[in-house]
Amino acid sequence: MQLKDNKHIGIGFRKDFSEELLDSTVLKPAFIELAPENWIGMGGYWKKQLDKAAEKFPITCHGLSLSIGSPDDLDLDFLYKIKKFIKQYNVQIYSEHLSYAKCDNAHLYDLLPIPFRKDAVKHIIARIKQVQDILEMPLAIENVSYYTPVAAEMDEATFISEIVDGSGCNMLLDVNNVYVNSFNHNYNAKEFITKLPLNKVSYIHMAGHEQISDTVIIDTHGEAVIEKVFELFEYTTSLLKPVPVLLERDFNIPELEELQTELTRMETIVSKTWKKEHVIA
Amino acid sequence: MSLLKESTHEQQSKLAEYCKTGIVPELTGILEENLHHYRRLVFNIGIDTIETAYPITYRFLPDEIWDKLVYEFYAEHKCQTPQVWRMPLEFYEYCVEKDIQGKMNLPFLNDLLYFEWLELEVHTMDDIPYPSFDTEGDLLNNLLAINPEHKLVKFTYPVHILAATELEGKAGNYFLLMYREKESGKVQCMDVSILYAYILEQIQNGLTLQAVLTDADSLFQINNFEMLKEHAINFINDLKQRQFILGFLNK
Ligand SMILES: [Fe+2]
Repeated sequence: MQLKDNKHIGIGFRKDFSEELLDSTVLKPAFIELAPENWIGMGGYWKKQLDKAAEKFPITCHGLSLSIGSPDDLDLDFLYKIKKFIKQYNVQIYSEHLSYAKCDNAHLYDLLPIPFRKDAVKHIIARIKQVQDILEMPLAIENVSYYTPVAAEMDEATFISEIVDGSGCNMLLDVNNVYVNSFNHNYNAKEFITKLPLNKVSYIHMAGHEQISDTVIIDTHGEAVIEKVFELFEYTTSLLKPVPVLLERDFNIPELEELQTELTRMETIVSKTWKKEHVIA
Repeated sequence: MSLLKESTHEQQSKLAEYCKTGIVPELTGILEENLHHYRRLVFNIGIDTIETAYPITYRFLPDEIWDKLVYEFYAEHKCQTPQVWRMPLEFYEYCVEKDIQGKMNLPFLNDLLYFEWLELEVHTMDDIPYPSFDTEGDLLNNLLAINPEHKLVKFTYPVHILAATELEGKAGNYFLLMYREKESGKVQCMDVSILYAYILEQIQNGLTLQAVLTDADSLFQINNFEMLKEHAINFINDLKQRQFILGFLNK
């Protein structure tokens, strides 16, 4: 993927600040990420904004409703619309959540935790292969935040690894989600990361979260990235080859200067950990 | 053939159903104290999306009635669109199908919801190619080119003119022209009379203004072609100024 100015850090393209971003001399992401669901079939003002953004930045897509872990059949009509969108905007990375957002023919528009089970692994591997065959590109699946396991037979790292190994897909490693889960489920975040299929990581997410009690963090994407997540990011990137990194900020959007400060900090970190490499995967 | 075991599917269904209804299920191996976050997160997305799409109805209905309506919608309805911003259309369709306006004795509710949905729809709908047109021509005898990104809608209640609190007892025939400005993408609304709605519809069907007015003169029993023509030309010129009428169709 050809990133802007040989940098690595992108930002989520939100309608809330699209106009500001397009005119901005302050916020300078290497690329932007958007949810195809929020743009497919949209005309008028927003289509113009999207087209302007596409002229200015490379685009990655991060889907919301594919629902790869759903018991329901894949929505092929929708998948073909995504394919068309990906082609139209020359999207090099399409990622989705390792979760389900639709069940028994009803969309829920949020990410529910899949039971970490053998049969679910097989089911999802088959679905990822089907998606990749149709899209003619690899899918990157993301480790999601979850607040409770459901009927688990294995741990999360094994679940993710078996799916990535079995399907040949890539992984979107969300560092904040690892942190959130390690806090909510009492495990060691660094150890968890070493158990992931790191050679398949093609994309990284960073984000802020909100701690709502002594025992629970909610993955809100509405706050600044905390120090401990930056630390975990530095550790994680030291284990990886260079890949694009995205800052997710969906709510409570601050001044663009503040976002750029976070991008710059991440860029500084990766320029250190990835200094020997010059080529982006 | 699904590779998923029935028991796994069942766990997934129970969690999803819980997010829709809030009725706590029996699930295996969960952190019980955290389960409610899923209901809260899912339901909040639904509520926010619907309230943002229907701000007038939301403010108009008493809180407990609105909350109950949204709750029932989320519990009973299976949202079909993968695109959450299109979901409010399903809310409107649900209200029509369940005759919520009859049950609440608010006969203008469907019109009000549809009006609010239309604003969203016209603002976001896919681009429609503009016809090719000239700016010079004969208003009466050339075919007029109109902005294709529009909706001309009949309402029983003047939901586009009056506040929701003033709609009771105002049943009649009302027409709304809603269109999207090409450059700005802004949505414009215009109340039109039944006569002008007819004229616009016939122009859209490919008649010249002269032909439409000739029909309208007798259809509406005006029997004063010159007067009709004068008013209609003013109307059309107004729409030209508003860039709804673009000019004259190229043949
Ligand atoms: Fe993420």
